[in-house]
Amino acid sequence: MLTLQELRDFGADVDTGLTRCMNNEAFYLKMVRKMIDTTSLSELKDALVARDLAKAFELCHGMKGVAGNLSLTPVYLTVNEMTELLRSRTDTDYGPYMERLETALKQLKQLAE
Amino acid sequence: MAGTNDALFSLRGKRLILIAEDEEINRALLENILEPEYETIAAENGQQAMEKLIANPGLVSLVLLDLNMPGMGGLEVLRRMREDPDLSQVPVIVLTAESDSEVQSLNLGAVDFIPKPYPQPDVILARVRRTIELSESRKIISFTERDPLTGLLNPDYFYRYAERYDQLHPDEEMDAIVLDIYHFHLLNERFGRARGDEILQRTADSILSAVRPLGGFAARRGGDTFLIYCPGGTDYGKLLQSICRHSEQDAGERLRMRMGVFQRADKSVEMAHRFDRAKMAADTVRGQVTNNIAMYDDRMRERELYAERLIDDFPRAIAENQFRVFYQPKYDIRPDQPKLSSAEALVRWNHPELGMVRPDQFIPLFEENGLVEELDRYVWRTAARQIRSWREKFGRTLPVSVNVSRIDLYDPKLTDRLNALREENGLGPDDLLLEITESAYTGDSDHALAVIHELREMGFRIEVDDFGSGYSSLNMISTLPIDVLKLDMAFIRSAFREGGDTRMLEIMIDIARALNVPVIAEGVETEEQMKALRAIGCDIVQGYYFSRPVPPEEFEAFIVQGERGDESEC
Repeated sequence: MLTLQELRDFGADVDTGLTRCMNNEAFYLKMVRKMIDTTSLSELKDALVARDLAKAFELCHGMKGVAGNLSLTPVYLTVNEMTELLRSRTDTDYGPYMERLETALKQLKQLAE
Repeated sequence: MAGTNDALFSLRGKRLILIAEDEEINRALLENILEPEYETIAAENGQQAMEKLIANPGLVSLVLLDLNMPGMGGLEVLRRMREDPDLSQVPVIVLTAESDSEVQSLNLGAVDFIPKPYPQPDVILARVRRTIELSESRKIISFTERDPLTGLLNPDYFYRYAERYDQLHPDEEMDAIVLDIYHFHLLNERFGRARGDEILQRTADSILSAVRPLGGFAARRGGDTFLIYCPGGTDYGKLLQSICRHSEQDAGERLRMRMGVFQRADKSVEMAHRFDRAKMAADTVRGQVTNNIAMYDDRMRERELYAERLIDDFPRAIAENQFRVFYQPKYDIRPDQPKLSSAEALVRWNHPELGMVRPDQFIPLFEENGLVEELDRYVWRTAARQIRSWREKFGRTLPVSVNVSRIDLYDPKLTDRLNALREENGLGPDDLLLEITESAYTGDSDHALAVIHELREMGFRIEVDDFGSGYSSLNMISTLPIDVLKLDMAFIRSAFREGGDTRMLEIMIDIARALNVPVIAEGVETEEQMKALRAIGCDIVQGYYFSRPVPPEEFEAFIVQGERGDESEC
């Protein structure tokens, strides 16, 4: 069971996220669960491996919007950094970013189980 | 001043917002925020957004547009919307995390931004409300939305608004209602213009407070006509009563209104036409005191269309001689053996497609729009030639009377025209008689009287037609230029109806005696009537007892016979 407290402990800015959900806790948790269930990093990984930075930018950008709106800060911060690098098509090693991202998502998935 | 903006901005349904955003969660957040106030539809990409805009013409109040979407992106949607004259009117708020897209979006017509991550819901709602309001105000202003006097909607805007209401409520049955104030111009004259305006304002206020709770809205069209679009099933009597009651300020100011209703208006009929139909119904209650609400039905429209057709066909009818002049004999009944004294020229319309059209179907119509002037001239010409032709054929002149309509008296060339006809056909002063209806003498009659005097000075004899139907005062009659009194047919009818008596007729005949002019009775149908009229001193009789109006060739039998015998056709 995913709880607000767990999300707080995870580092999410739950209060801001809740505000965006008109303070409807159930709705907020439902949205977070949906994010956890539907987010897959495999497409992003593939794009980065293929050095398709434009595609990787689109994917990161989308993820950033959702993570930002739900105030999942640890995810948001990483994706935000990646988005800015990808926007300027910076040719760098995205490995460490991906690791951080994977860890954060794994953590969320565990909370949701 | 009546009316506030909320009446205008709150349709009973919610406004529709299109959310074009590829991330389902972002969409869901927005929907959750907007839901209590708005209806939303979603598009996952630009292509879908365009499709949904096109599928809901005029219905989308706002687009919330994400710029980064797979396939067609937000900027392309903006570009395409700007190219479309209808879609370019729909305001767009761009959802974006990138400030560098802002200028481009603005250039393409976006009106505002909502950043990502989203701000507080209150902020989003405030921006949405303001954007919609501004956009609607702008549209409204371009339609000169409101009537400055009453604060009600202007008709143009009202029609658009009603159309939009229909789109949002396709299954709701609506009534188109027209309301106007009886004799408003008289109120203006009695109480002054400022008071008249005040009455209109109060009426507008009372209409609004009566129709708002019913979910209706209203406009003012022309001086004192009000339009109401309202969900069906209203108690019209109650509605009218409550409007009247609230519009009157004090007991001294009795307002009477009439109402025409196009009930459960056919939505395939253009909005303005629905109200034309309601007006058509309202016009049928003109002058009725007890019943001041009328429902439109299709027969009214058919009659109106028929009337329109007659008006349209008029020029051709004149050019192709479709009008025929018939003649009805008038007999002098003073001798034992009634004697043919003259005839009245009466017009008939032999329409190539509609057959014989009765004069009561087209004369009032042509009197209303002035075509009767041309028709009268046609009849005068024909009758004058007929008098000549009979004179040539039979060696005697039979005088013929023709109708001179009220409007003819305002023709500056009237006397010239009539003189020319007399000269062309070699007619004497007594040959062409002029019948002028009594109502032409009353009302604004100075001019009419002057013309009639002039005609008499030229030698024309004037028969006052429909005498007793107008409002001539006895005092006035004695000074009127009159040669013959023709009694209104209604007197004859009521005098000879069962239980009727002839006293009124006797009074009229006494008046004629006092004026020293002969009396003609029209519409005489039986021998008994003829004899009764003779007994009370009537001089001349016209009617089916002697003959209906007949074509000139048939009329010749009366001339040949000279005097009426019992064997004549009735």
